[in-house]
Amino acid sequence: MSSSTIQVTDSSDLSGQPTSRLVLQMAWRDIATLFRTPWIIISRALAFIIQLFVFAYLISGLVVKFPGFFPYYAVGSVVSVVASISFIIGYDIFEEAEEGLLDYLLTLPIPRREFIIGRALGGAVRAMIYTIPMFAIVAVLENFSNPISLLAAVLDLFLLAFGVTGLSITVAVSVRSANRFDVVLALLELAVSRASTALYPLAFMPSYVAALAPFSPVTFAADSTRAALSGSSLDILGLAGLLAFVAIFLGLGATFYFRRLEGGVYA
Amino acid sequence: MIGFDKAGKRFGTLDAVKEFSMTIHDEEILGLLGPNGAGKTTLMLMMGTVYRPTSGKISVNGLDVVQHPNDVRKMIGIAFQDPRVDGILGAFDVLNWHLKMTTNLDKVEREDRVEKVLRAVDLWDARNKRTWLMSGGMRKKVEDCKVLAQRPKIAVFDEPTAFLDVPSRLLMWKMIRELRDEGSTVIVATNMMDEAERLSDRVAIVNLGRLVAIDTPEQLKSKTKGGEVLELTLGDGQECPADLLTQFSEVQDVSQENNKVTVYLSGGRLLLPKIVETLTNRGVKIDSVHLKEVTLEDVFLNYTGHRLE
Repeated sequence: MSSSTIQVTDSSDLSGQPTSRLVLQMAWRDIATLFRTPWIIISRALAFIIQLFVFAYLISGLVVKFPGFFPYYAVGSVVSVVASISFIIGYDIFEEAEEGLLDYLLTLPIPRREFIIGRALGGAVRAMIYTIPMFAIVAVLENFSNPISLLAAVLDLFLLAFGVTGLSITVAVSVRSANRFDVVLALLELAVSRASTALYPLAFMPSYVAALAPFSPVTFAADSTRAALSGSSLDILGLAGLLAFVAIFLGLGATFYFRRLEGGVYA
Repeated sequence: MIGFDKAGKRFGTLDAVKEFSMTIHDEEILGLLGPNGAGKTTLMLMMGTVYRPTSGKISVNGLDVVQHPNDVRKMIGIAFQDPRVDGILGAFDVLNWHLKMTTNLDKVEREDRVEKVLRAVDLWDARNKRTWLMSGGMRKKVEDCKVLAQRPKIAVFDEPTAFLDVPSRLLMWKMIRELRDEGSTVIVATNMMDEAERLSDRVAIVNLGRLVAIDTPEQLKSKTKGGEVLELTLGDGQECPADLLTQFSEVQDVSQENNKVTVYLSGGRLLLPKIVETLTNRGVKIDSVHLKEVTLEDVFLNYTGHRLE
């Protein structure tokens, strides 16, 4: 380290740095952690295969009232996994705040709003990358080959991932106690996934679950994804529900996060 | 130039920093010396735009930290007291990502800079080892290296040599001085007297969130009463009658903390036998005496009334 080899960074050098590049770098940080632990993706994909070929085959044989339960369950499982993985960003953010890593991230020259967008984007893309192998398995198994249908289904999944990421961030920055946070997020995950049409149709649900399920974002995504993959007409209601979910929770997550950074704990 | 103008930070009912005014000059190393909880980290995080001041103003090179936070962030690099690194990443990836976020260097320049700094601190061979598997000292080096590789206009180090062995401490001091010589303004928060004295161009003594004194180490010492310090250790439960000692014109001040008595004086060698005789005649039991020149520790004690533990 000699003075002749390294010069002090001129701050004007950074003024030309596009913010979008920083957003992508911030998102990449979250995505990169996934690639650092590829065994998690592999093990979850294997667990998914076992679930599909053992549990789903077994159950579809037992379900006589609903022929074609296997493809219904297979697609719904993918949707359910997307939701589940998208919740992880909340745990990450909560942990970062507890460990002080958030202090470091906040010293970086990225505007707060872009910082939040980067985190949400990273969380959503990470969930998609994680789920793509499972989605591919289902697509091959069920012979979903229409590229437009596949693209539309991926869009549905991505919208769900983005919205759940926002929901997870909202909870992570709203709840201060670690124990309460774990309980709230686990219950929320259970509620949006289980009280939905991801794994079983509305008609077979107990009335108290059936009353809630139509409003779950996972229901919007599951119905919309199935409609896209089956090549039937666009599920406008599902798509609209997903878009509203994304807008509400991404907006709420960003607002709560921003408030915590600029007006609350980090004010 | 960095200016603190009556800056304050309140957490609930606690004033972590209160009415803090200070100017930090360009291209100097300023040591922030104070005990744990004195407000050093809060000061740095307010300057780094992580915390917003609840009163007063802070400006960095003419930019208000509240009005222009992102422009301020572009100038600053902070190495935290406890390493803030992604445990799952290796040192190389930690530094590489940090430079991606804080500089405009291209890939080749960036990786070259990371390699140079890691080689300099002897971490190159461990560059891919996940940081959560590293020792405390190695992790601390990685934290410091973020700023050393970034080469920001304003470099902030919070306890930069905590957990480091002696050779690594000396090396880190050398690298921090080089950073200053290249044009950075450097702020070093520390509770180690020798670090503040040997590394800093000026030292700011901080206590209970307030600025107590600021000057060069030499000036701070020379301003301290008398220029010499006599430390007396008394027997358990013994009280030193201060009025007996202040009757000597060479004695400037006397303070006692438990059984340790500190006497600020001049001409100590000649006065020492008289002081011992006076106290012994009064029945005060003296276990040990130690006469020395004023150190920063004495300066701290003199200004704050307690020792820096």
